[in-house]
Amino acid sequence: MNAHEEQVTLEVPATAEYVDLVRITLYGIAAKMGFTFEEIEDMKVAVSEACNNAVLHAYGNPPTGTTSQAPAIQPKMEIRFIKKEDALSIIVKDEGQSFDAMAVAPQSSPLHGKSISEINAGGLGLYLMQALMDQVEVHSEEGTQVILTKRLVRSEETA
Amino acid sequence: MKQTDKFQLRTETKEGRCIVYVSGEFDLEVAAQMRAAMAPLVELTDRELTLNLRDLKYIDSTGIGILVSVLKARNAKQASFTVEAIPPTIRKLFDMTGITPFLTRQNQES
Repeated sequence: MNAHEEQVTLEVPATAEYVDLVRITLYGIAAKMGFTFEEIEDMKVAVSEACNNAVLHAYGNPPTGTTSQAPAIQPKMEIRFIKKEDALSIIVKDEGQSFDAMAVAPQSSPLHGKSISEINAGGLGLYLMQALMDQVEVHSEEGTQVILTKRLVRSEETA
Repeated sequence: MKQTDKFQLRTETKEGRCIVYVSGEFDLEVAAQMRAAMAPLVELTDRELTLNLRDLKYIDSTGIGILVSVLKARNAKQASFTVEAIPPTIRKLFDMTGITPFLTRQNQES
């Protein structure tokens, strides 16, 4: 790890009711770093989408090939905020099944130029992450890891 | 958490219009509550259905997905569904996903 990097790690149950806690933490870190209100709003949405995926993985898609027993340990997700000199990266890691490879492919604006009967909200979460962050990486090995990065553009005065 | 961020829903019916006011954070956590609240209203085809977002602080793709499903259900019944008083931060997400024209179409035509 780079000497100029600082990390904050949050581990919470992979449930929907903890996603707002992640947003509040993100707000605190990003505001201190000097991101604008609009940039913070963008990151809030992107990070929440990554957390939503982690929650849905934990409860929506139980891994195949296991017994039908309920998990003995409550699923968790880990959110790591990496403060760099010129960027903030947020890593959202879950223990669930990996992402659908199709869903990871970059998409164009999903609802543009379609009729009502054609529109479908599937894939909107990933689309928003890509539209709102400077960089999005998805790694699926044991569980899924989503790495979101937003560059910090300092104004002339403070540079 | 600030009290104002808590999701709240209020329905007002008057003169053939049904207006649903949602405030706070409309996300995965409240998706089931919102779906359940909207289901009976979607069936009232003799009324216009409007969602007022004036006090909405946040929406995610789950929330947008629910708007899409309400829109589709109303459209199938040839009944109207519009969204009004969209705050700028939420409008930005609607524009990005391309849902804006579907939600404001009737307003623009009238």
